[in-house]
Amino acid sequence: MAEVRLREVVKTYGPVVAVDNVSLTVNDGEFVALVGPSGCGKTTTLNIVAGLIDISGGEIHIGDRQVNDLDPKDRDLAMVFQNYALYPNKTIYKNLAFPLKMRKLPNSEIDEKVRAAAKLLDISHLLERRPRELSGGQQQRVALGRALVRDPRAFLMDEPLSNLDAKLRVQMRAELKRFHQDLNATVIYVTHDQLEAVTMADRMAVMSGGVLQQYDAPEKVFANPVNTFVAGFVGSPAMNLVPVTINQSATGAAVVGKDGWRYELSPENVRKAAKSSDGTLVMGFRHSTLKLHHESRPNTVEGRIYTAEPTGDITFAHVQLGSDIIVASVTPDVHLRADDVVWIEFDPNRVHLFDGKTQQALTV
Amino acid sequence: MTAISEVSRPRRKRADGWRWAGRIILFLMIIYTAAPMVWMFLTSLKSGFAAMQFPPQWWPKEPTLEHYAKLLDPSESIGADFIRYFGNSVFVSVTTTLAAVAVAVPAAYAFSRFNFPGRTFLFFSVLLRNMFPAVIFLVPLFILMRLLGLVNTHASLILTYLTFGLPLAIWLLRGFYDNIPIQLEQAARIDGATRFQAFLLVVMPLSAPGIIATAIYSFIGAWNEYIYAYTFLSRHDQMTLPVGLQRFFAENTTDWPGLMAASFMMSVPVVVMFLVLQRYFVRALTEGAVKH
Repeated sequence: MAEVRLREVVKTYGPVVAVDNVSLTVNDGEFVALVGPSGCGKTTTLNIVAGLIDISGGEIHIGDRQVNDLDPKDRDLAMVFQNYALYPNKTIYKNLAFPLKMRKLPNSEIDEKVRAAAKLLDISHLLERRPRELSGGQQQRVALGRALVRDPRAFLMDEPLSNLDAKLRVQMRAELKRFHQDLNATVIYVTHDQLEAVTMADRMAVMSGGVLQQYDAPEKVFANPVNTFVAGFVGSPAMNLVPVTINQSATGAAVVGKDGWRYELSPENVRKAAKSSDGTLVMGFRHSTLKLHHESRPNTVEGRIYTAEPTGDITFAHVQLGSDIIVASVTPDVHLRADDVVWIEFDPNRVHLFDGKTQQALTV
Repeated sequence: MTAISEVSRPRRKRADGWRWAGRIILFLMIIYTAAPMVWMFLTSLKSGFAAMQFPPQWWPKEPTLEHYAKLLDPSESIGADFIRYFGNSVFVSVTTTLAAVAVAVPAAYAFSRFNFPGRTFLFFSVLLRNMFPAVIFLVPLFILMRLLGLVNTHASLILTYLTFGLPLAIWLLRGFYDNIPIQLEQAARIDGATRFQAFLLVVMPLSAPGIIATAIYSFIGAWNEYIYAYTFLSRHDQMTLPVGLQRFFAENTTDWPGLMAASFMMSVPVVVMFLVLQRYFVRALTEGAVKH
């Protein structure tokens, strides 16, 4: 296993910049998730590491080698594809043996390694079948087996779980995480599902528009998103983001919604708000940090229930705050009906403030 | 219950009626296509006199293989000619087929996988030849071949047949390559294959049905072609079978049984090829149709 380093990597297609100056280091044995919406450049970045796409600028290092101009076959990586990319005309045994055969290992050694990998993944009984005779979960295991049969320097995974049904996905998620821990493998994992990234990765790299937005441990990205994009992307339901303006007063400052509602900021948040470049802010707060009251309290904001979604152990209340709709979570014993008037209490320590113009998080 | 069976019974009967109508149509089509072949074969077994009798001998009274023996006997002039024509046809058709596959496979692969300037334009211009009837190109191609000094060579025919066969071959194969996920090649390349190995070991086997279909199409086209072979070749020792069969037509008499024997032997390679390769043909059609 080895470290993978990208330095100022750029990929352009004509005028389109698919990957814009991305620098990130994946430590030896680390599980890193590249996450972002479709078209954000995450798969392109992965293919760049694999060598399937030539870069327009920058440097890629795997271990102590610079691999910019190396063919995929010489980079000594293994990849698991979204559609598994099993060779349909070969048996499972031959699928697993293919990477070893390409490296001209003796047959006895190939046999030994194929059977060991098959045993590890519990697919020994499938070796003589062909890919199309296997279920999705089994194909997934074979794809994983073909990757780990060779002991590569790093594993690249391109949305490997997205073709599985929901139940199997949860199961395979746990297995993949376990597999990473057991092998102490370097893994770069591409997904559009932030939940997969949060649950599996040591660090997650959030991308948008070809730009690396934030690269940190999932809990840190969750707690301190650097801009409104990351804030809205990580976490489910997404963080509520409401555009507001600052209203300075003698005692401190308040934010005012465009429909006139008003919320007094804590002293720390006042200092953050003072850094705004043009006096406008985006206020962000997660559903779990809100409290809903049936009566008015100091420094609460009036809202109206739009709809309530009970999910069993938690109820999501969609609340109309002026013309915006925000989501708050309450315990299932709280009964809410549409058009009930509620008072929203914010947790001042967990309110996020972003610059209205640059959309960047404001810090003290 | 009764209402349901009363409703469904006439419908089922009608479905049976349609099925029988279909069978009858298929049966008529088989007769339509097979009868000339059968008559050709029966005639080839008759003597020259028996072949011309009226009313016709439906079944040869004294079947003989003498015409086949004559055609395959190199010591007789007609046998020597026939064998030479047959050899010429095999050479021209096989070379055309190999060249068509050798050109169409990389061309179709490139059209499918690579993005290069003018790709769409080139791809559609490949079809240009097929927008006109083949005869239109007879004279221009003859002039071209004369300029190239290729008149009376097999190369002139091979080049011409390629221009007919390649457009369809490229289009057909491109469809095959488009259906093979690019991730298969990427996986192979990451697994340690060069780009060419990935093509050879992973893509080629998957496109085999398409390649076989292309090859059959090119082969039959070249094997049966008459008008260009008649125009481009004037030397006897170069002629292909369709042109060479004319030898059996003389000014006053025509050796019908001999002609039929030669025609029958000419159709043998095509029939054999179809019988051997038809399962690949069928697989090519069904494999693409079923989603897994």
